[in-house]
Amino acid sequence: MSKSDAYAQAGKAAVLQNIHGTMEFLQKFPPFNQMDMAHLAYLVEHCQLRFYGEGETIIKPTDGPVEHFYIVKQGRVHGERPHTAKRGSETTFEITSGECFPLAALIGERATRTEHLAAEDTFCLLLSKPAFIKLFSLSNPLRDFALRGVSSLLDQVNQQVQLRAVETLGAQYSLDTRLGELAMRQPISCAPETALREAVKLMHEQHVGSIVIVDPAHKPLGIFTLRDLRRAIADGDALDQPIANLMTHAPFHLPPDASAFDAAIAMTERHIAHVCLVEHERLCGVVSERDLFSLQRVDLVHLARTIRHAGRVETLATLRGDIRQLVDRMLAHGASSTQITHIITLLNDHTVCRVIELTLEDLGDPGVPFTWLCFGSEGRREQTLHTDQDNGILFEARDAAEAAQIRGRLLPLAAEINQRLAQCGFTLCKGNIMAGNPELCLSRQEWTRRFSGFIYEATPENLLASTIYFDLRVVWGPPEGCEHLREALLRQIDGNSLFQRMMAENALRQRPPVGRFRDFVVARKGAEKDTLDLKVQGLTPFVDGARLLALAHGIEACNTLERLRELIAKGVIEPLDGAAYEEAYHFIQQTRMQQHQLQARQHLAYSNRVDPDSLNHLDRRILRESFRQAQRLQSSLALRYQL
Amino acid sequence: MSQFTWFSGRGPALLAAQLDRRLRLPAPAPLDERPLGEQRLVVLDLETSGLDTRRDQLLSIGAVVIEHGAIDLGQQFECTLQRQDHKVSASVLIHGLAPSVIAAGREPAEALLDFMEFVGDSPLLAFHAGFDRRMLGRALKQSLGQRLRHAFFDIAELAPLLCPQAHIAHGGLDDWTRYFGLRAQQRHHASADALVTAELALILFSKARRQQLDSLPALQRRLAAWRRRQHALAL
Repeated sequence: MSKSDAYAQAGKAAVLQNIHGTMEFLQKFPPFNQMDMAHLAYLVEHCQLRFYGEGETIIKPTDGPVEHFYIVKQGRVHGERPHTAKRGSETTFEITSGECFPLAALIGERATRTEHLAAEDTFCLLLSKPAFIKLFSLSNPLRDFALRGVSSLLDQVNQQVQLRAVETLGAQYSLDTRLGELAMRQPISCAPETALREAVKLMHEQHVGSIVIVDPAHKPLGIFTLRDLRRAIADGDALDQPIANLMTHAPFHLPPDASAFDAAIAMTERHIAHVCLVEHERLCGVVSERDLFSLQRVDLVHLARTIRHAGRVETLATLRGDIRQLVDRMLAHGASSTQITHIITLLNDHTVCRVIELTLEDLGDPGVPFTWLCFGSEGRREQTLHTDQDNGILFEARDAAEAAQIRGRLLPLAAEINQRLAQCGFTLCKGNIMAGNPELCLSRQEWTRRFSGFIYEATPENLLASTIYFDLRVVWGPPEGCEHLREALLRQIDGNSLFQRMMAENALRQRPPVGRFRDFVVARKGAEKDTLDLKVQGLTPFVDGARLLALAHGIEACNTLERLRELIAKGVIEPLDGAAYEEAYHFIQQTRMQQHQLQARQHLAYSNRVDPDSLNHLDRRILRESFRQAQRLQSSLALRYQL
Repeated sequence: MSQFTWFSGRGPALLAAQLDRRLRLPAPAPLDERPLGEQRLVVLDLETSGLDTRRDQLLSIGAVVIEHGAIDLGQQFECTLQRQDHKVSASVLIHGLAPSVIAAGREPAEALLDFMEFVGDSPLLAFHAGFDRRMLGRALKQSLGQRLRHAFFDIAELAPLLCPQAHIAHGGLDDWTRYFGLRAQQRHHASADALVTAELALILFSKARRQQLDSLPALQRRLAAWRRRQHALAL
């Protein structure tokens, strides 16, 4: 036996124990648990095992392009980057046993942007770049994992992690699909002088429900649908007249890059069933309600229409069940939490409007214009199915006497609306934050005075009130009064550093449930043992932080994600930070909604508490990082307001 | 491999090819002051038929290499030695090597040649290195007529020296792996034990560097002083 043969044989035998052991270890974690055994063996055989003492740097930006793929075998690694406010550094993420880094830098063939430090004594498996590249080309699970960028939340490069993670759970089709992809066929169109009969013949031959009327440059002038045909026949219109007489002018259109979600929202808001796709002023497609929902059978538009035309409150109450089913199906089809809260808010708004209209019909018009306001999560458009009433009325009055007189007329109506909303599934507010409460049925002057009180007398009650009332929005009625009220509010907060500081203190009250040494900080005892509160501990830090920064910088938006986006646009927070917050908020909300759906299916009461151990490995990891982002937001507030 | 060759004093009977391989085995490199991160080291663990270094037999060898400051998982040695006259003793309960496995093992001279080629001129590391050194030395002499001259470093000795805060005075491998939170994949399997010993070595080297002991001679000097002090304390 030659020397090299002997070596090869000894080598073969050596593979067994330690290589096998390391493979077994890796097989507990994605993507290794999905990898082919031969590929995994190749990976382990080409690894070196390296030790890093606590505090030791593993890789840093100045090391140049990353040369290894790192897997934490034991210990914890922290990502540190210079603090945005230029004072020391902050931990941006944590990587523990079985997790790997730095994928984005390795694939991007660049240096890491974050210094990776051993947070405790740590062993890492290092796979050299050539071996990684070879495996990357051989192993689909590894490639998918690397490209999907599961660690990109950590790298704060890719903002779509959760969306994609959720997509893989559900079907391929999602509301993020480009409209251009949905509108597969050529749009059916005709010239304005085409006879109605000819146009309908064309629609019939092509099996479509709509025809777009275009000019010679293919710019859409109008649309004619089967609904319009019904009306034309009923009205006895002549079949030989030009279709231009009967079409709906200036049809609503979107660019082909808009998403299915955009189209669904447009249809729901505008009560239309067709959206033209227009690029460079040329018609390039038509998307119908059927195209949007044929795949998921979720008829959002139809539901919205039914709510808007419901004749009785009882009908609205039964439609609540349909909303729940809709949300259920949308979650199953991979809709994001933002999309779902948006849709719930939209449908809830329709319901509230319809309840107000029906009540006005039944009790008679009070004869004074009024605006129906909503506060809190409803005001922020962040409602889930699990929702309370938080509403009020705003009206215009010349003086206190007139205000009292108008209030007297509106209160019985408001109280009835509150009761009917309760009938429709909007739980009565325990804190009596409802329009039927005389303290919340106020003239604009009275509202302004009330808000001033919150700002200038910073008692704990007033601070709490400001976190509810300052997220306000008009649901029904003329919007001008609310706009003036908001302007006055922003003016008062601007430059009032004492109030801002108090709000900052308030925003730091809820600490995200991650510890330094453990995964998650959970309740130690009682019925809530081993669980944490996704809403109070996870979402509230983001909501409070975004509200404070928005109000302090004159931003009118109420929605947390919109606030974050405007704060980025104004340069108040850095784009990378903002994107990370948005992503984190989004994921916590998504987890919460999935919990709610699960609870509804098991006929349990809605709860925001979750046992992190009940989540899968990937979700748990992203959730932990999301909480860490909440921690970062809080520490940036503490720094900004010197708390 | 008979007792006869051992007592005859003429050394074992080797094939020409084996003699040739034995001749080519490199002599151990003298220790120099290069940093630990640049030192190639072989970490070994042996399974034997018992704890008597004069009578018991070497049954299997597991070894891993520390090179460039890391354990190279692609460079490992694992070999069971063929022992025809092997008797099952109580130690089978520890190493778990069944007689059938031993019978199917590699011919000892070949196995030891393989191993010494794998070691090359590198110093050796082991936990309770004195035992491994005597066992390996006797096996080399018996099977190859070769004297073992490689330097040995004992992790069991380095650990309390470099990590006194652990307060583990005469700890075994299990005590130290537990202290550092390590996990052996399969205890009393030569290569798994060698790997966990090598992991211990990496931790200890990291501590040594922080104590400005970044070469084997520096460690040796500190060990000598430590032994003198331990000895003085014992008196």
